[in-house]
Amino acid sequence: MNKTGVIIGVIVIAIIAGVATSFTSSSETVNLDMSRTHGTISTAMGSPILGDPSAPITIVEFGDYQCHQCYNWFHNTKPAIVEDYIETGKANLVFVDLAFLGRDSPISAQASYCAEDQEMYWEYHDMLYTFQDSKIDGGWANSERLKAFAGDLRLDMELFNSCLDSGKYSKRVQYNTQQARDNGVRATPGFFIVGPDGQEKIGGAQPFSVFKQVLDKMI
Amino acid sequence: MTSAIRLVFSNSKYLLLSITIFSTMLVGLLILSEYIFLEPYVVSHLPSGTEFGFILIVTISALSALVLPMNIFRINILKKSKQKMGGGVFGSIIGVAAGACSCGPIGFAVISTFGSVGATATAFLTNYEIPIRIIAIGILAITCFTTVRSLKIECKFDPNS
Repeated sequence: MNKTGVIIGVIVIAIIAGVATSFTSSSETVNLDMSRTHGTISTAMGSPILGDPSAPITIVEFGDYQCHQCYNWFHNTKPAIVEDYIETGKANLVFVDLAFLGRDSPISAQASYCAEDQEMYWEYHDMLYTFQDSKIDGGWANSERLKAFAGDLRLDMELFNSCLDSGKYSKRVQYNTQQARDNGVRATPGFFIVGPDGQEKIGGAQPFSVFKQVLDKMI
Repeated sequence: MTSAIRLVFSNSKYLLLSITIFSTMLVGLLILSEYIFLEPYVVSHLPSGTEFGFILIVTISALSALVLPMNIFRINILKKSKQKMGGGVFGSIIGVAAGACSCGPIGFAVISTFGSVGATATAFLTNYEIPIRIIAIGILAITCFTTVRSLKIECKFDPNS
């Protein structure tokens, strides 16, 4: 009985220590607004806001850097949304990782936050979707290539490399992926259009006309 | 070839079956590959760079709609073996499986359920989607020609008719 009690005690202490360590490391290394939410989604660990933070509508995109449909949306639909809604201050956009497709998916998401440390998140994000290769885990988003992308953007390589190699943002990416699951996102890209009176879900790389209908309804 | 096709599809039951197979496969594959969306509005979309994939889907659906009813005709009417049916079904299945893009809900479900094994499988299907679909078309085309040849022999067509 006494022995069992000791074992349970050790396990409980180990769990508490693990949880405490994970929270401590997160709060020490990541300077985030933990209260940031959009609709039902906690976007605290997501990307910085693209566009006017006070815009009445927020587009929350759940995506994976290795997803071909995300690539299609980035090139075919997003430019018109940026031009008509984000640059005009009608809406803003937050990217939240649903990094599930392969082993290079979480690391590429982590790399984007390492770029954010140097205030180059969106430039790095755009670069990944510009140079996405058609093969999942085909090497285009491995650690070396991610560092090469950072070099192309003239980031401080010492900072970037140590950030990526240490896995500084692995928990942030895990948190975002869990947010996607908690909000019922089952494919990438997945979107929530969050307006003053509620939110609407759009699944897949849908054309601009669909986003326009949903956004105009909320304005 | 046309005489064998005419023989099978002169029966309205097989024509109806063919139309059903074509429309079901086409719509299903177009939804799976995100050319058609049902929510929040029904909309079709052909993004630039995906035209070839669209043509392959239409071809697979058309060949399946041709091959499967002809083989069912052979089995039902001529009471022949089901051996050639396998080629048509196999070709159709791998053609459909190639569309289970890992970005989509099927890929997500497979990866969530089977972990890294599921991720490897869906990554393979996604990475080689186009070659797999071309192989499926090849299998369906070969099955189509062998079925027509069998029907010619088994039904003793006059080649000049």
